Amino acid sequence: MRIGVIKAYFKKELLDIYRSKLILMVYIMPSMILILFGYGIKLEVTHTRTLIIDNDQSKASYDLVSAFEHSKYFNSEVKNLSENKALNLIKQDKKDLIIIIPESFEKHLLKGLKTSVGVYIDGSFPSRAKTTENYVNGVIYDAIMKRSGSEAESRALITINARNLFNQSLRDEDMIVPGLIGLVLLVAPAILSALLIVKEKEKGTIFNFYSSPVKKSEFLAAKLLPVLVLHGINIFILFLWAIYLFELPFRGSFLLYIFSSFIYIIISLSVGLLVSIITSSQIVALVLTLIITIIPGFLYSGMLMPISSMEGESVIEAHIYPVMYYTHILYDVFLVGDGLSASKNLLYLLILVGYATILLSIGALLLKKRVA
Amino acid sequence: MNRLQVRKVSVTYRKKTGLKPVSLEATGGEIIGLIGADGAGKSSLMHAIAGIKSFDGEIEFDNHIYRSPKEAEKVKGSIGFMPQGLGLILYEQLGVNEHLDFFADIRGIKQDSAFRAYRERLLRMAGLSDFTERQAGRLSGGMMQKLALICTLLHRPKLLLLDEPTTGVDPLSRMELWDILNDIITKEKTLCIVSTAYMAEATQMDRVLLFEDGEIIDKGKAGELIEKVRPFSYESAPEPFENSITIHGYTYSLKPLKLKPKEPTLDAVFFINFLKKYGPIPEISIVHKDRDEDVPATIMEAKGLTKRFGKFVANDHIDMELNRGEILGLLGANGAGKTTFIKMLLGLLPIDEGELFLLGKRIKSANDRQMLKAKIGYVSQHFALYKGMSVRENLRYFANMHRIEPERTSGLIKEYANTLGFYSYLDALPTDLPMGINQRFSVAAAIMHEPVVLFLDEPTSGVDVVARATFWEMLQRLKEEWNIAILITTHYMGEAEFCDSVVLLRDGKKIADDTVKNLYQIHPDAHNFEDIFLDYYKKAF
Repeated sequence: MRIGVIKAYFKKELLDIYRSKLILMVYIMPSMILILFGYGIKLEVTHTRTLIIDNDQSKASYDLVSAFEHSKYFNSEVKNLSENKALNLIKQDKKDLIIIIPESFEKHLLKGLKTSVGVYIDGSFPSRAKTTENYVNGVIYDAIMKRSGSEAESRALITINARNLFNQSLRDEDMIVPGLIGLVLLVAPAILSALLIVKEKEKGTIFNFYSSPVKKSEFLAAKLLPVLVLHGINIFILFLWAIYLFELPFRGSFLLYIFSSFIYIIISLSVGLLVSIITSSQIVALVLTLIITIIPGFLYSGMLMPISSMEGESVIEAHIYPVMYYTHILYDVFLVGDGLSASKNLLYLLILVGYATILLSIGALLLKKRVA
Repeated sequence: MNRLQVRKVSVTYRKKTGLKPVSLEATGGEIIGLIGADGAGKSSLMHAIAGIKSFDGEIEFDNHIYRSPKEAEKVKGSIGFMPQGLGLILYEQLGVNEHLDFFADIRGIKQDSAFRAYRERLLRMAGLSDFTERQAGRLSGGMMQKLALICTLLHRPKLLLLDEPTTGVDPLSRMELWDILNDIITKEKTLCIVSTAYMAEATQMDRVLLFEDGEIIDKGKAGELIEKVRPFSYESAPEPFENSITIHGYTYSLKPLKLKPKEPTLDAVFFINFLKKYGPIPEISIVHKDRDEDVPATIMEAKGLTKRFGKFVANDHIDMELNRGEILGLLGANGAGKTTFIKMLLGLLPIDEGELFLLGKRIKSANDRQMLKAKIGYVSQHFALYKGMSVRENLRYFANMHRIEPERTSGLIKEYANTLGFYSYLDALPTDLPMGINQRFSVAAAIMHEPVVLFLDEPTSGVDVVARATFWEMLQRLKEEWNIAILITTHYMGEAEFCDSVVLLRDGKKIADDTVKNLYQIHPDAHNFEDIFLDYYKKAF
């Protein structure tokens, strides 16, 4: 590779991106998506996997249990387990919600004494956990009200002792913002790299590459480096938004964040490269890139639904797209902080490197230095 | 010695043949011309030699043999290739100097004083020395093409491949392009292969190859080729002879005729070839139509018509008049404003300033036009045909659109197909048709509703010699039979001969407007319209 050639293309690309005002898209779109969606997404939760431990076995407790059983928001199961064993079920991701009805629940109610119901919610998806908590409150107060007559009275009689496991602070942003970063960094670099190549095809300037001794590797480097550099800056911008605007914690390694993000951008721009190989007009390239990045980006970033609660084909699909691996690492660096000491993070990082290598190689292989 | 040998090279595109096996030998300092219509195989040969398209056969240049684009990599350093299309290889957003820097860098040229001197010389020859900061998107068509050429020459290629560098370029810039080329070729001993759609340029070349349907039908010096067809060319016959073609003042026949011989041009080679291959051109006639006598004598009158796109003035106060029974040629290079003008006439673009009268009526709003739609026929630049429908279905659709009664439609389609000679293609898709047939059937679609005026936007560009001549013949008949007014745009200056009067546009301004007869009288020493227009271009500066 000759540095001079790459430099010439690089300079031309930057001038072109700047003068054609594409630069606005590069920096406004990612931040805009993050801010709009970061504030905008609220999620409904249904079919929460619920375990009810009924320690009272009375008329009142049966009423409460049946109220849960009849709600579409809960898939409940009644079982007699120790509290510890039940909590383990949440940790193993077999249940999302555990409700414990204390002994002498009915007795207290009849005497008009205060009683408390224990509720444990899987907090790993704060938006879900918060919604679930609201639903649980509603169902319980509603059931008691039917007995006591007024809402105020039922609220006075019962304390709901809700605790979230894993994620005590419970904020939507904590879950959505890393997911959005995973989405944005998949979409934006792919679009830019696809456009940079397809633009030359559409205008005909690609002939300068075809008919000159410029090597394929030089052309690729010249086209992809500007994307990597420009969107590399976005890694920092998005980080700043997350920390200062959405006030996310940052518990992990900054180096891991940067490194995995750059790898992820390489994956994204390789997707753009692949699109540019099969298309020859900018508008088709744009639409195609949007479709193949946004949909999996949304579905499998873990924003809408945790991968762990997916079933069947969707689990397989989630594992096919690279989004899941990157957002897992993002959740770790922002919220958990285990870093590479957790074997799953290391594995996922390696998978990302694998993706980047394979996609880039396929792209480089399929790019032809001649007219079709 | 920059020696090029092309051995049995053929090119295929998926299923279609682009070029049948061709062999060729040439050395430095020569200019070889490839002449022929779009799709005749000129570009295929260039792409193969430039090493940017897979091909069968073998090419040798500079003692390197290559059979594929991959093997051609090693010679690309000494090849300069300019693809077809005005300023195609330029980046709109980059300035003139930035282009030269970019091309020097990607070719890995050492920027020493010798290079800087050469670069200055190229800039001067292209007349771009004063515009070094201007972005390519804001250069005129001719300047863009000159910039593209000097970018291609920057690394001093030993083999120069230029694909239609002059198509759509104004006559003055075209002359300058040839000056640059001739200068470089004599000084650098470059081997140059140029394709062109202009027959007149063949005389500039050492050798020409005539292309048709992916084959070379003849090659040699222009003079020799003309010599070969001399025995077959005669003054136009008053009565048609058997097995002959009579067109544009010539009669071509393979058998000797008792007519006065006439000095042929290169066009003759194509007619003779056609005659040998397919026999005489099928007769074209026009469907009969009663003349409406209540049509006003002045069909269209424009007064100071102006169109602006931002700061750019595409049409600057254009006056024009089109009369009944007249063919008016609107001529100019690409980007001169021809299409913009037609689009304003049709209401496809709003008029920014000026007055327009159609059939004696002042046009102010879309409503004014609505009434006139039935009287106007229009053929757009790229023939607005639906590619997924057969010729018959297309015609039926246009008939419907013009509210021709369905019972009449089938008969009408047959009639037009018979008279214009595309009956056997009625059930084919437009993409499978030869260009010439496509052209005629587009006209059929535009005249089925019997308009009194026909607008044609560049119907002849890229079409082969025989089809072009037939097309002009058809327009002549249409004019005579129907007494229709025809406004036609073209960048072939030579086609002005076939019009009654011409208007010449340059950069959005009108620089000439007169009848063909008058123009010849004013310029008695001009050989052809190229010369006449060159004169106007020079004056307009």
